[in-house]
Amino acid sequence: MDMVKAAKELLLQDKVDIFLGYRKLDGHQIPHGFTKAHVDDLDQLEISLNRYPLEKIACDLAQKDPALKIGILARDCSQRALNLLYTWDQLNPENIETLTVNCCPSPLSTHGDCSYLTPKPTGDYKKAHGVDYNDSPKDFLANHDSGERLSRWMYEFQKCIKCYGCRNVCPVCFCKECSLEHPNLVEPGVLPAEVPIFHLIRATHMAGRCIDCGLCEDACPAHIPLRMLYREVNDAVSDIFGYVPGDHIEKSPFSIIGKTVELTPAPMDV
Amino acid sequence: MTVKRIAFVQELLKFMGLEGRLHLEWISSAEAQKYVDVVTKFTEKIRNMGPNPLRAINEMKKAG
Ligand code: SF4
Ligand code: SF4
Ligand code: SF4
Repeated sequence: MDMVKAAKELLLQDKVDIFLGYRKLDGHQIPHGFTKAHVDDLDQLEISLNRYPLEKIACDLAQKDPALKIGILARDCSQRALNLLYTWDQLNPENIETLTVNCCPSPLSTHGDCSYLTPKPTGDYKKAHGVDYNDSPKDFLANHDSGERLSRWMYEFQKCIKCYGCRNVCPVCFCKECSLEHPNLVEPGVLPAEVPIFHLIRATHMAGRCIDCGLCEDACPAHIPLRMLYREVNDAVSDIFGYVPGDHIEKSPFSIIGKTVELTPAPMDV
Repeated sequence: MTVKRIAFVQELLKFMGLEGRLHLEWISSAEAQKYVDVVTKFTEKIRNMGPNPLRAINEMKKAG
């Protein structure tokens, strides 16, 4: 499908008021909102490996004008993020149009447009003392004893410079007031951040929310394997709650209280 | 739901090597003896596990 043509049609036929995609500015591909008034700008629409949370920009726009019709250049992860945002009433599906780009390569599409398709290399020191980006949470748990798991995660978390990049880039971190800035939980203006509370707060908040886009891990300047951490969160949520965030539009089990459950509390092993 | 939430946090703590320090038990207001038993048992367990390893890590960091 000709993306440029399709996006132009959306704008010209007034199906959307703004189309969120990418264009080049000073050599960088950055998110851009294309409009009908400047529809020919779409000739510069860039489709590449680079990813930004366009859904997050859509949320900001929708907050300012809830009636705004928004078009989005979407990948698979965008689709999951949108489902999640619909579920949490952050966006109205009736106001969103997506144009889907190639994500995963398949016999039908020989290339994929995603920065994630090349696995992140993990250095030798990180492999020996930290956490491998590409390890599966299950293998990590099976291959390291408790003390080693603690020391490996602490090695990672201690590098955190509290830039809030992971939260800021995350398409599903939409809270008006963020716990990570609550002075009783995270002391403001203090570096290094207390470990592991900063990362535990975020990890628990990602339960029932994280749609595994990997943007946080891409953004983290301290190279903390955040996607791998939230994959463990997602595994636990799926095992315990039977819920996969963003899979389809279904209320998160974390927003429902008072349902009878079969599970019994784990015994205290001494 | 509480039991599921706690099971989730227990799993997450285990992943980071911090298991054993969180416990959930249903105790009604009529079960005074059970309350005493559970709290005593848990206190002993925690004492045997020794101090929270995180404190040492954070203090070391503050000291640079
Ligand atoms: S992978 Fe990271 S950025 Fe993406 S939804 Fe999960 S926590 Fe947010
Ligand atoms: S870290 Fe938690 S409180 Fe902060 S924006 Fe994300 S989900 Fe909301
Ligand atoms: S992006 Fe990385 S360094 Fe920045 S706050 Fe998040 S975990 Fe810390």
